[in-house]
Amino acid sequence: MALLEVRDLVVGYGPHPVLHGVSLDIEAGETCVLFGLNGAGKTTTVSAIAGLLAPSSGTITFDGQPIAGRPAAALVASGISLSPEGRRVFARLTVEQNLQLGGWVRRKDAAVARTQRQLVFDYFPRLAERGDQVAGTLSGGEQQMLAIGRALMSQPRLLLVDEASLGLSPTVARTVFEVMDRINDDGTTVLIVEQNAGVLPYADRVLIMEKGTLVFTGVGDEIRDADLRSTYLGA
Amino acid sequence: MVLGVSFVDQLSTALVIGVITGGVYALVALGLVLVYKASGVFNFAQAEFGTVAVYAAYAALEFAGLPYGIALLVGVSAGVAMGLATERLIIRPLFDAPRVTLLVATAGVALLVIGVQFWRANDPALRVLAPISNELERVRVFGISVSDQRIVILLVLAATAAGLALFFRSPGGLAVLAASQEPTAAELVGVSVRRVSSLTWGVAALLGSLAGLLSAPISNFSPGFLTAGASGALIPGFTGAVIGGMTSMPGAVVGGLLVGIVESLGGLNALEGIPGARSLLVFASLLVVLLVRPQGLLGRAAA
Ligand SMILES: Nc1ncnc2c1ncn2[C@@H]1O[C@H](COP(=O)(O)OP(=O)(O)OP(=O)(O)O)[C@@H](O)[C@H]1O
Ligand SMILES: [Mg+2]
Repeated sequence: MALLEVRDLVVGYGPHPVLHGVSLDIEAGETCVLFGLNGAGKTTTVSAIAGLLAPSSGTITFDGQPIAGRPAAALVASGISLSPEGRRVFARLTVEQNLQLGGWVRRKDAAVARTQRQLVFDYFPRLAERGDQVAGTLSGGEQQMLAIGRALMSQPRLLLVDEASLGLSPTVARTVFEVMDRINDDGTTVLIVEQNAGVLPYADRVLIMEKGTLVFTGVGDEIRDADLRSTYLGA
Repeated sequence: MVLGVSFVDQLSTALVIGVITGGVYALVALGLVLVYKASGVFNFAQAEFGTVAVYAAYAALEFAGLPYGIALLVGVSAGVAMGLATERLIIRPLFDAPRVTLLVATAGVALLVIGVQFWRANDPALRVLAPISNELERVRVFGISVSDQRIVILLVLAATAAGLALFFRSPGGLAVLAASQEPTAAELVGVSVRRVSSLTWGVAALLGSLAGLLSAPISNFSPGFLTAGASGALIPGFTGAVIGGMTSMPGAVVGGLLVGIVESLGGLNALEGIPGARSLLVFASLLVVLLVRPQGLLGRAAA
């Protein structure tokens, strides 16, 4: 049984569905990358998995438990954490406070908070140097690091990162991908939403989405189809 | 004030009277700042939480014959219930609306509630709520007698301000700020934005209720008395909150007391010939503070 199983997921905003029956599996321990053009429905997919959107039909099973429709605030306690599109750091709070809030569901356990904080600083030393800085004044790359770091503070089993590299320089994007790889090596299952082919070397599996349905699932090397490559990966 | 009293005497008198009237303004300001910090809304219904509490306590005392303490509890419950209902019925459905829409909506709530009071409770128009104690001169400060009721107001003010300031330094306070800055991200870390919203409106309504229940016995009360009119505390409370920086609990206290003091300075003999000297002074000082320190006395520059 996969860690996350999505079956026939239909999700929309208002009456018209945006996802038309999406099914996907994410195995424990892997790094999955979800590709797709603008408007394909990637954010809608991860938002539904994280509990921000309630599906109109279909099932989502996490670790054997049905979770479709449960609110985000409950799912983060069960081990699903999303670093959202647009980063959404708490702009007027400090880096430290952002991380502290990331650990909200584990706040009763000081030891977890300490270990996770240490781990985050280990992955992103830049954040450690900027603990007292107000998050809104961080650079785009630093805000992305903070958003991922905040999502890690709840000690998730499944980490979802939407638009990991959007707006980042190639060097910073690579740093982020390398850290995502380390996070995965350290035992967290990862789903990255991306438009940047630079993430491919780190992916165990690639999903490609088009107009609300999955059109390809497989390992990165399998994307031989020249059309798929040029359309979705720009390569 | 008697003519011929020395200027220094007049000043010290004005100071004492200012602090004791400003106490109520500061309580109102605390509630306004709390809601503003938590949801970015200027809450025009803040003082009506207090008026509703007063009418409920009055009814419990005079019509149901309940003991004074129970009547106060009934009042607080009514005020808090109104706060929670306002949140649930008005604020939450308008969660994504522009803040100015919410401002107008809270003004609507206030006017509606005042309308109901005029309709149901305007005969007699003026009523009296008994004070906590009848001691009118517990102490004399600079020749001014300070009643138990006034002392209780200042004690409650100090306790609630300290409680709120501590709360905003705690993880719970951080969660409130997070929910107001990035509701989606707050949900994602596990903070229930709805619960935060109910909590802040409930506590704000509690502060409003205390302001009403403690200040009503000082003179008489009538429909909407805490919002407008001679004992209105909404506008002075707003002024105090803005002077204090709109986001700072200590700022709300300092601002509220300051408005009380400035207002009572308007009663100095030297200003006798100027009609409306009190409001003139209050708003002049508001403008001066805003020009010199736009972020308010204790507000943060970029907050
Ligand atoms: N809040 C919303 N209300 C209405 N429609 C929406 C909303 N959010 C997204 N949509 C629509 O749903 C579709 C899928 O959007 P989604 O954000 O999931 O795409 P995406 O793959 O993440 O795109 P991008 O790469 O641009 O982030 C789009 O057509 C979009 O216009
Ligand atoms: Mg998207």
